[in-house]
Amino acid sequence: MEIQMWQIIALTILSMILIWDSLSTAIFDGKPMFAGILAGIIMGDITTGLAVGATLQLMVLGVGTYGGSSMPDYLTGAIVGTVFAVTSGQGVEFGIGLAVPVGLLMVNLDVLARFCNVFFAKRVEAAIDRMDYKAIARNTWLGMVPWGLSRALPVFIMLIFGEDIVNALVNYMPDWLTGGLRVAGGLLPAVGIAILLRYLPVKKYISFLLLGFFAAAYLSVPMVGIAIFGVAMAVLEFKKSINGNQVAVAANAGDSQEGLLDGEYED
Amino acid sequence: MENMKTNETKLTKKDISSVSRRWIMGSQITWNYEKQMAIGYLWAMLPIIRKLYKDPKEQQEMLKTHVQFFNTTPHMGGFICGIDAATEEHEGYKAKETVKGLKTGLMGPFAGVGDTLFGVLFPTIFGSIAAYMGQEGNIAGAIIWLIVNIAILCLRYFTAGIGYREGSKIITSAKDKLDALTAAATLLGITVVGALVSTVVSANVTASFTSGEVTVNGQEILDQIMPCMVPVIVVAFIYWLLGRKKMTSTKAIILVMVLSIVLYALGILG
Repeated sequence: MEIQMWQIIALTILSMILIWDSLSTAIFDGKPMFAGILAGIIMGDITTGLAVGATLQLMVLGVGTYGGSSMPDYLTGAIVGTVFAVTSGQGVEFGIGLAVPVGLLMVNLDVLARFCNVFFAKRVEAAIDRMDYKAIARNTWLGMVPWGLSRALPVFIMLIFGEDIVNALVNYMPDWLTGGLRVAGGLLPAVGIAILLRYLPVKKYISFLLLGFFAAAYLSVPMVGIAIFGVAMAVLEFKKSINGNQVAVAANAGDSQEGLLDGEYED
Repeated sequence: MENMKTNETKLTKKDISSVSRRWIMGSQITWNYEKQMAIGYLWAMLPIIRKLYKDPKEQQEMLKTHVQFFNTTPHMGGFICGIDAATEEHEGYKAKETVKGLKTGLMGPFAGVGDTLFGVLFPTIFGSIAAYMGQEGNIAGAIIWLIVNIAILCLRYFTAGIGYREGSKIITSAKDKLDALTAAATLLGITVVGALVSTVVSANVTASFTSGEVTVNGQEILDQIMPCMVPVIVVAFIYWLLGRKKMTSTKAIILVMVLSIVLYALGILG
């Protein structure tokens, strides 16, 4: 299927709205899960968008942008990956195979946007010296421009010129690459899980890691069932922490805080 | 003498709501490497500054105070704005130094809890469920996650008001609860992650071993030892890798992709 001009424009606007949302209201929180679904709606194939977004989401579990660190931009990756999975007819694995390198490259533009905003911040400070409130407001909001362009430009360019490249890729792609990408699509969520385990205080809660695995692998309990079990245990833990005597609470809090700091994973 | 006088201008509920809205919308818009959320903080406090300080010199000094380096979890910053607003309302211009200390003193502790809860645990718990269901073609998990995010946004609207009313005692009163909540959410997150290993990482071993006339399927042997053995090994391997110096998540992703292609080409995985 060929992509229409209105779809390219809609997807470009989508990428801008998603990055702005992630900086402010955060209802889509810049997550590839939502980017994939929304791109899927625009492309008329929610199923593909859902699958591409879901796999990318699993890869970024636990990867956050703390203190201004950049992470692979799977938001843009999910949009581009979904589009080419649909237009090429090559399926979800192909889309993920494209989304990963796109996401890894796009991180450079995230850095550039954060860098460009130094310029507007300087202008805000200059406006304070003049006590020019209009200029303070204007330059604060101009910060949206580098952010928006850092996503919109690459999405627009890739969608306009990408189709021929992707078609050529599809025609000449050898079996070892298509098959390899399929295997990679299955294995890549392991990276997100491993990053999370590095961040969370696994040693303290190792029994729950094993219980979760046991319930899913041996008892085939579906994910919602496991979440219910987890909530039950979490409520007990919460009550224990709150109702326990003050000393216990303090010791507990100190523990968990320490564990999180020790296990903190930085990219 | 005028600096000794307690500020008489009172802030209204509307002022505080305005701070909340401005913090939510503006905190990261002009995020930059030099002062991070400084401009966002200034933007949130602007109406307060204009209302409380009538003297242009004082106004300018406070603008400069609020444009200093600031960084915390966006979800938690509203509390700090609220506490700050209450302090400035009571103390006026002489609170300038206090406010500087307050901001730098509070941003760390709030970020510690906020990044863990909103940056890691909530996205892990709801993202895992949404992605697991999404891989099965079910959009319900994603919709639940979206509703949770909207609920969090609504709660964020009240953070400045809570900070304003409770003042800095919020840190002691809320800390126990937040720590307990963090511990509980961590436990839930780890349980879900344990299940994720076996459900979302997939690897199908295609290698088989022929000994005489008997051909043994590799996957069957592994399944008899333990279900999902390959996913467990892969997760453990990457976990170990990430603990090594100079290893980043990006390198790990590239390594997994190369490894997948090699293992497929060799006919071990498929």
